[in-house]
Amino acid sequence: MEFKLEAHRIVSISLGKIYNSRVQRGGIKLHKNLLVSLVLRSARQVYLSDPCPGLYLAGPTGTPAVPPPQQPGEPVAGPPSGWGEPPPPAGRAAWPEPEPQPQRPMVCHTPGAGSSEPVTSVAGAGDALRGGETDSAAAAWSRVERPRAAASGSGSDTCPEGPRAVRRSCGCPPAREEQPVGDGSPAPPAPCPRKRGAAGVGGGRAGCPAPGSTPLKKPRRNSEEQPSTTDEDTDEEMETGNVANLISIFGSSFSGLLRKSPAGGREEEEAEESGPEAAEPGQICCDKPVLRDMSPWSTAIVAF
Amino acid sequence: MRADIISTVEFNYSGDLLATGDKGGRVVIFQREQENKGRAHSRGEYNVYSTFQSHEPEFDYLKSLEIEEKINKIRWLPQQNAAHFLLSTNDKTIKLWKISERDKRAEGYNLKDEDGRLRDPFRITALRVPILKPMDLMVEASPRRIFANAHTYHINSISVNSDHETYLSADDLRINLWHLEITDRSFNIVDIKPANMEELTEVITAAEFHPHQCNVFVYSSSKGTIRLCDMRSSALCDRHAKFFEEPEDPSSRSFFSEIISSISDVKFSHSGRYMMTRDYLSVKVWDLNMEGRPVETHQVHEYLRSKLCSLYENDCIFDKFECCWNGSDSAIMTGSYNNFFRMFDRNTRRDVTLEASRENSKPRASLKPRKVCTGGKRKKDEISVDSLDFNKKILHTAWHPMESIIAVAATNNLYIFQDKIN
Repeated sequence: MEFKLEAHRIVSISLGKIYNSRVQRGGIKLHKNLLVSLVLRSARQVYLSDPCPGLYLAGPTGTPAVPPPQQPGEPVAGPPSGWGEPPPPAGRAAWPEPEPQPQRPMVCHTPGAGSSEPVTSVAGAGDALRGGETDSAAAAWSRVERPRAAASGSGSDTCPEGPRAVRRSCGCPPAREEQPVGDGSPAPPAPCPRKRGAAGVGGGRAGCPAPGSTPLKKPRRNSEEQPSTTDEDTDEEMETGNVANLISIFGSSFSGLLRKSPAGGREEEEAEESGPEAAEPGQICCDKPVLRDMSPWSTAIVAF
Repeated sequence: MRADIISTVEFNYSGDLLATGDKGGRVVIFQREQENKGRAHSRGEYNVYSTFQSHEPEFDYLKSLEIEEKINKIRWLPQQNAAHFLLSTNDKTIKLWKISERDKRAEGYNLKDEDGRLRDPFRITALRVPILKPMDLMVEASPRRIFANAHTYHINSISVNSDHETYLSADDLRINLWHLEITDRSFNIVDIKPANMEELTEVITAAEFHPHQCNVFVYSSSKGTIRLCDMRSSALCDRHAKFFEEPEDPSSRSFFSEIISSISDVKFSHSGRYMMTRDYLSVKVWDLNMEGRPVETHQVHEYLRSKLCSLYENDCIFDKFECCWNGSDSAIMTGSYNNFFRMFDRNTRRDVTLEASRENSKPRASLKPRKVCTGGKRKKDEISVDSLDFNKKILHTAWHPMESIIAVAATNNLYIFQDKIN
């Protein structure tokens, strides 16, 4: 149990580091980010291999997460709108149950400043994020490309995903094919607003919506609203909305981490975005059935 | 970040000059004063010889990236004439600097006044020969070559070849070979960038030429491996000639095993028979003829192994410590936290922990060995692990090539210690 908590804590720390690296002077440090991604992967493996049903708590409808604001003038690349927006509440079932509901995981410690901080800075520094992220003209071009591909691929950027959210049905793969150069920027998550609830950046084949998922309308949000902490009860409630935002930003960059199953070993370790050079936009492609049964928080970890 | 934090320290080949680079892009060179011939055992002190701004912050407009001016490495060239040459590099650009002295000045020009104004030719009635007059010593640094636009990633190493004509520069994924005279082109000799960046598993962390064999170099990786390459075998040295890796101890696996196995520095011994690598917790000496494991492993601060999670949180686990050999390869040195640095005597197998701090360093006084208390009762003068100041880190140290003089950079202070020989 404590391994899971430790893993959870390490994951959130790692996500914060990766976020901060984007606004650091001198550009993204490839070496450090590679190491952090390795830690993330290890923590994820531990987390997933240590099932602990008691950790998950059926909570209320979840937090409206704050999607990163649109950078003015930037092509509307399909923001991760609706990130964290919970689907209509259904039966609160304990994990693991395949349900189109985001499970609210319970954590045994208050995320506190640790997790809320990245989110606010996400909201506030989304511009910096975008700005610092673009490595090349190709990146900017690919960002423009993506919404078109997304539009043509899935037909809508309000394509839903259930909590399984293992599929990225935003037409990213087509977009990817169109851009062999890739962009490696965090923009890729932007055009894939299919993340629902709290972090459903599952992998998957293009264009395959998660089976059984409930269609959700995801309104675009430009506001810088703070993630509302879950009003209810326990201070143990975790703000998955924060995680959701972080994942939406980092999502594609970490897609490679999902190539292998959690028990897949180290043969193919993936890296996050490259430094100055463009990397292929990632495609989340983990279609293990296990993801279907996982809470949003676990799904978040899987995403990385 | 303070601009005067020292980021590299390097003695030249004779040891008379000591160069430091800092985060603000400045280079400060110290020169050893001539020893007083009258006193046999007097030691020359190092004083500032030259200061110049090597690199400035730049902005890559195409990528919207700021390029830090921090000097990552300085390497001296062997001296060939009265001037001194060194290479200094930041993340993207390497510069060759010439440091020369001027202690004479010509006076008595015909066509211009002493203050440089041109004289009216019609007023010149007589000709004189200009004469050289002594002046106060002036040390000038001028950039002679700028090697730019060859690295997409951040440069971590430069190394001058023993042929004195070429040098290598290494970034996270590539190593380039340059000729010192040619700035508009370099040869890529190692490229580990995968076709798909998502398959990236390791990066290059350090590289160095063999001290005598001009065709051999090594590079270390973030996975704790070292590859030795021979440039004679092929133009692109992606295939190594030797591969050094120590099997991992499965019992010590943790979330952070990969991070602490990443090699932060690799240095050949002066003899060229050995090389030394530094990872987060240890220093290892390798025999070039034995690839399976190091011949020596020295623990630098093993007491940190149980603190890795905290060190990950505060980013200290990413600190890149350097290491160095003494002139005879009988001892090695590396830094630690709390302004501690460690020296290991390879012959006697003894090691010592010393501290570089003002309070403990009175001139002419001996450094007192320090000890970190790892558990249990703390003895007097010992420091407990929890009291260590992790902001005071010694990442850069250098050893005089021939004498028992060491230079230790502690944040923004440079300490020079000499060994008293009675």
